[in-house]
Amino acid sequence: MIESMHAVTLGHFLMTGAILFVLGLIGFVTRRNLIIMFLCTEMMFQGVAITLIAFSKFHMNMSGQTFVIFLLTVAAAESAMALGLVVLLFRRKRSLDSQVWAQMAG
Amino acid sequence: MAYGLYIASFVGAIAMAMMLPRARRSGRGGGGGNGSAARFGMLLGAASLGGVWLWLSEQLLPAAESWGISRPAMVYYYIFSAIAIVAAVRVITHTKPVYSALWFVMVILASAGMFLLLDAEFMAAAMVIIYGGAILVTYVFVIMLASEPGEAGGPGSGGGIGIEIAPEYETVSREPIGACAAGFLLLAVLLSVAFSPIAPNPEAAGPTDAQLLTSVLTDRPAVRLSHITDDPRLAEVMSVNNIDNSERVGLDLFESHPLGLELAGVILLVSLVGAVIIARQQVPLNDPPTTSPTLPTSPEA
Repeated sequence: MIESMHAVTLGHFLMTGAILFVLGLIGFVTRRNLIIMFLCTEMMFQGVAITLIAFSKFHMNMSGQTFVIFLLTVAAAESAMALGLVVLLFRRKRSLDSQVWAQMAG
Repeated sequence: MAYGLYIASFVGAIAMAMMLPRARRSGRGGGGGNGSAARFGMLLGAASLGGVWLWLSEQLLPAAESWGISRPAMVYYYIFSAIAIVAAVRVITHTKPVYSALWFVMVILASAGMFLLLDAEFMAAAMVIIYGGAILVTYVFVIMLASEPGEAGGPGSGGGIGIEIAPEYETVSREPIGACAAGFLLLAVLLSVAFSPIAPNPEAAGPTDAQLLTSVLTDRPAVRLSHITDDPRLAEVMSVNNIDNSERVGLDLFESHPLGLELAGVILLVSLVGAVIIARQQVPLNDPPTTSPTLPTSPEA
């Protein structure tokens, strides 16, 4: 049986998850390559997965790990759709720059 | 108490803003940021992360008996975490998409190592197989497929003489300072929550091995692989009375979340159909690149 862990130990793992999430967020906002933007969303997923598994061990409940399976499902579906859209957009304008599509805003 | 975290977040924001790629780079491809500022930002970020860890060790060391993970595991945590964070920074600062994808594989491997420390062996394997093996291959494939020809580097790209010059949208970030400020503000709040005192909820704990063996797993085969080894520790791990991680995850998935499992299947099916529909749209290949005032209308029926 797994044992629980100290709150500061939990905090360490939560810190790594939060840093990965925030770095993915910054990358999504700052990068202008459409593919890298979606890669950054995958990095945010990764931070959330670390957080879920850390809480799963902290509370000794397997549902956290089960939710990571669902997270993987959503990530796979999202990457399939997003990359299909990126290829479509690239074929329209011959550029991966997200600013090219700025006229779609508003 | 949390001032150290706030200061480290502030320093980290400055470091990140210095590391993000900017304009006015020398034509050298590959690196992120512009030379000395990026290097200084790297040092600053490493210093803030190391400072936080040193500062936290004062709280961690007195509780050495109740960490929940062993002392070598804690060392491995620092190694894996440092690798993951450095690789994540390189993902968002590298100006070549293929290298960004490869650094993201590094993030995956390091976080899979952290999953091992957290007794989540199945998720570590699944993460490496699905992320590193499937999703990243798709990303690299699309990066190769949608790579720009050398001369069409977008408006303002340098000349098109050297092939190795990255296009302008790779080397100039959008709003780096504002994004870093917002992101690390979020990080400061998240960290102050993450290190707030919390106790494990005893009611949330899942059933123990003995409870599972007497309630759900009553018809579990009595003979497992424990007879093939001579090592007593390995035999104890592989014995019938020890439910391993993949069994636990499977039990929780099928016992507690059957509807979620079905919904996950529906999501995968819908995304499969959607990806096929998106990918089979015909796009005229010879339309003018960027200057057309109206968007080409979608041929959707």
